[in-house]
Amino acid sequence: MAAFIVANIAPLMFAAMVVFLLLGYPVAFSLAANGILFALVGIELGLLDASLFQALPQRVWAVMSNETLLAVPFFTLMGLILERSGMAEDLLDTIGQLFGRLHGGLAWPTPWCSSARCSPRPPAWSPPRSSRWA
Amino acid sequence: MSFLLSLSRLIDAITERVGRAARWLILLTVLISAGNALARYAFNASSNAWLEIQWYLFAAVFLLCAGYALKHNQHVRVDVLSSRLSRRAQTWIDIFGTLFFLLPMALLILVLSWPVFVDSWRSGEVSSNANGLVLWPARALVPAGFALLVLQGLAELIKRIALLREP
Repeated sequence: MAAFIVANIAPLMFAAMVVFLLLGYPVAFSLAANGILFALVGIELGLLDASLFQALPQRVWAVMSNETLLAVPFFTLMGLILERSGMAEDLLDTIGQLFGRLHGGLAWPTPWCSSARCSPRPPAWSPPRSSRWA
Repeated sequence: MSFLLSLSRLIDAITERVGRAARWLILLTVLISAGNALARYAFNASSNAWLEIQWYLFAAVFLLCAGYALKHNQHVRVDVLSSRLSRRAQTWIDIFGTLFFLLPMALLILVLSWPVFVDSWRSGEVSSNANGLVLWPARALVPAGFALLVLQGLAELIKRIALLREP
């Protein structure tokens, strides 16, 4: 059993990741838990050194100090302005009226609105979240 | 249970306040970034401190708002399967995930990042860039953000259990 896990730890981790993600718990925490679980398995089987956990704060630090991600506040602010001012909705309506009669008319607004506001998902179409209550 | 529920209400209130305050930092980051870029290209005036404060503020946004996002259930989920399950089953998944995914991860990072902050605070660590800022406020953001996440995770756990106990 242990020999099998040692030989196949990467595919096993991938399979576990798929299962964890399909559970429907927030992706960020499922991925983190998958990493920690397989770190523990690896330490137990002698594949990894326990001191590697010390690198965890450094990983968070690397995300914080990543200057490429500084574009994110701009996109967040722009998305907020477009959403609250109703511009995103108007844009969606306009493109819908333009292309609504064509075959696949529903498919048009997505790339148009996305390229206009540089966001992969128009808010009006985002699928309903499962349990929205607080 | 009523004590736990009032505890969760208290945590909710803290998270809400912190989140509402921290999100204004997005506007501040954008203004600083844009102002800094303008000053650099128009007047050839800039400093590494202005560059660094941008990612300090942005890091503050996503770390301090992690609990806020959890409270408002805004963390991205893959709900292909779970959306077909009953509300009760979804609540069980949330309880399982909070206990075995969220809390261990957040506690681990909280415990491991605290000494990093203390070291930085004691040694007065300064960024290696010329005119760089002191690093401890940014180092402090990691344990602070994950502490808020742990607290909000506990609050969500209490609320989910209360939901299950409802007839």
